[in-house]
Amino acid sequence: MAKSVIPIGPWHPLQEEPEFFTLTVDGETVVDMDVSIGYNHRGIEKLSEMKSFDQATFVIERICGICSTSHPFAYTRAVEDVIPVEVPDRAKYIRTIIAETERIHSHLLWLGLAGHFLGYNTIYHWVWKLREEILDVCEILTGNRNNYAIFKPGGVRRDFNMDDIPLVLRKIDGIIPTVDRLKKAILDDPVLHARLKGIGILTKEEVIDYSALGPTARASGVAKDVRKDAPYGAYDRVDWDMIVTENGDVFDKVVVRVLETYESIKIVKTCIAELPGGEIDLNIKDIPPGEGIGAHEAPRGETFHYIRSDGTNRPARHKVRAPTFMNLPTYKATVIGETISYATIILAAIDPCYCCTERMAVRDVEGKRLFGGPDLVKLSQEKTARMKREMGMP
Amino acid sequence: MRTREQVLKDLQTRFKDDIVDLLDKSPKRVYMEIKPESIVRVGSYIFKDLEARFNIASGVDARSHIEILYHFSLEYINLLISLRVKLDRKKPVIDSLTTEFKAVNWIEREMSELLGIEFKGHPEMKRLLLPDEWPEGVYPLRTDYEEWDKNAIRDRGV
Amino acid sequence: MKLPKARELVEAIKALIVGPYTSKFPYKPHVPYKSFRGQPKYDPDKCVGCLACEQVCPAEAIGHEDITDGGEAKRVMYHYTDTCIFCGTCELACIADNEGIKLSNDWELAFFDRKTESFETIDKELQLCEICGEVIACKDHLRWISERIGELSFSSPTLYYSKLKELGVIDENIVSALRDSGRSDRFKILCARCRRETTLT
Repeated sequence: MAKSVIPIGPWHPLQEEPEFFTLTVDGETVVDMDVSIGYNHRGIEKLSEMKSFDQATFVIERICGICSTSHPFAYTRAVEDVIPVEVPDRAKYIRTIIAETERIHSHLLWLGLAGHFLGYNTIYHWVWKLREEILDVCEILTGNRNNYAIFKPGGVRRDFNMDDIPLVLRKIDGIIPTVDRLKKAILDDPVLHARLKGIGILTKEEVIDYSALGPTARASGVAKDVRKDAPYGAYDRVDWDMIVTENGDVFDKVVVRVLETYESIKIVKTCIAELPGGEIDLNIKDIPPGEGIGAHEAPRGETFHYIRSDGTNRPARHKVRAPTFMNLPTYKATVIGETISYATIILAAIDPCYCCTERMAVRDVEGKRLFGGPDLVKLSQEKTARMKREMGMP
Repeated sequence: MRTREQVLKDLQTRFKDDIVDLLDKSPKRVYMEIKPESIVRVGSYIFKDLEARFNIASGVDARSHIEILYHFSLEYINLLISLRVKLDRKKPVIDSLTTEFKAVNWIEREMSELLGIEFKGHPEMKRLLLPDEWPEGVYPLRTDYEEWDKNAIRDRGV
Repeated sequence: MKLPKARELVEAIKALIVGPYTSKFPYKPHVPYKSFRGQPKYDPDKCVGCLACEQVCPAEAIGHEDITDGGEAKRVMYHYTDTCIFCGTCELACIADNEGIKLSNDWELAFFDRKTESFETIDKELQLCEICGEVIACKDHLRWISERIGELSFSSPTLYYSKLKELGVIDENIVSALRDSGRSDRFKILCARCRRETTLT
């Protein structure tokens, strides 16, 4: 049987992350796959043990460049669980606002990239222009577009400048019409329907078996969200809905993310309107010996931190679990059985037709080369014509 | 749905001989120390019958022994159960849970290379994070870990 | 050919009037929001050289060097631009009313040579022990402490002598008058070890 192996990576041209997928394909169907990670293993858990509790926040913040609130949020909650303390109300609201603005820009970023993977670059440009506004909001509120440096065990480091709030609200309101239009454009687009519906289905049982998280789980009808299940910050004081869809395909994951953007906008606006006064920091000086666990619903799912303190000012053990660690193995359940062209969007990677064609060659048992580049172009043209006929298109 | 008390009571009666210690730390956190040999029974009961979500496992080198904490969250009662097992530091061996549910696959691979814990019965035990040139038997998260690569750059790089 | 929708036409006309969304950056300067966290800058007048910022810096982007040989003793404070993560911990930890080191809006930090251009320095005058030459602290730091603790500073000879010396009250005449009785050392600014030894003799 003619099986060939398509390597994607070790450096993703589009996701810009080092990871290495090996797809074993039979014809066009993926029959097996393997993921190699660890190219970017920076030893942050070890590094964090060498920094004080206060300094470790900044190392933790740099685990992820996109969701740079989620890890410090979970980390500070873990440290507060060791003591245990409750942070002041204002700090809770500030944390929530930052976390939700981040969720907006993170979902928008993913949406733009997804459009880019599919070759729908209009979405990519639209969404990334929109995302700039949200990044501006982050810059106004915290002083930077990313890596907000605002989290601290026991509270937040800096307060908002209340003079900036009207500008922030104006900017957030300004993006709503565009998001509306985007929602219509994405959810009503027949091409996207054709490409995304029924693709890469992750069933409810698989979600539970793999303990998948976040939008990946919610798109499959598993209503799990740390913000609702174990409320923290200001999430239990604000009215918002958990978005759950049932199908578990790629299209539903898009829907969940688009609709969650609206919920996040709602949370940010309510939190800003209800922002209480008072202290922002508890000025924690000593961390007693003990253990603590903190979790936060990051844009990609639950971030989980476990801290063990031995009474010194450094963590004795710090375990970090990013949501992708649980979500990545589900690729094995979603990709196998799909064709290569769908594998790309399921893996949320680049379209491999472009970068892999020259690397791939179908070989039969004797090792004789069957298809070259021009042959593949011809094959794909024939396939397009056949599909057009089948769909009854002119 | 069961309440928090029912769940804890159920666990205590069902696994009377397996539980070494149960620490009810706070309304949301319970730490339960069990015997290493009963991990598969207790773990799969919590995961399957109590319908818990597996958060993660975290291995700790506590100098006198090696500890693994398996964290499970029960969303319907907002409770996080951490199963604690203590292993012999010289030769840490424990049964793999991968046969019961797939979520532990990667973390067991990670713990075996970072802490040197052997998971009996793991179907695909190979490297996950460390580079290929990393020597065998050097475990970076052990407390007695020493830098093995003498040529590594450790200054500001200037 | 399909005709464009009204929405698309409006968008196109708007784009013609408003112009591109992107800025003409290298030709036009980019002005960040005033809350932007840029490069931390020392204020040489406010900074007292206490090294609190160096201790808290999570990225080890702040360093110092004490130069005691040849001429005046000084402490050179380094801030490494390339290592800095602009977190603002130094500013929050600064003992001089958070003004000794302050985040600026400056973000254009590119340079050519990492060995010579990657850092900014300021010099602070050092106070040395007058017997053994050990570094005690920066002169500004000692003055800052005596200002903060008020009359209590008279309990520490090092503090009030350094203050009196600055005012010019202690001069050679007073010290020389005591030289014969062997107690002149006590009127010097000393490090903790030398202070104990002189008091014991």
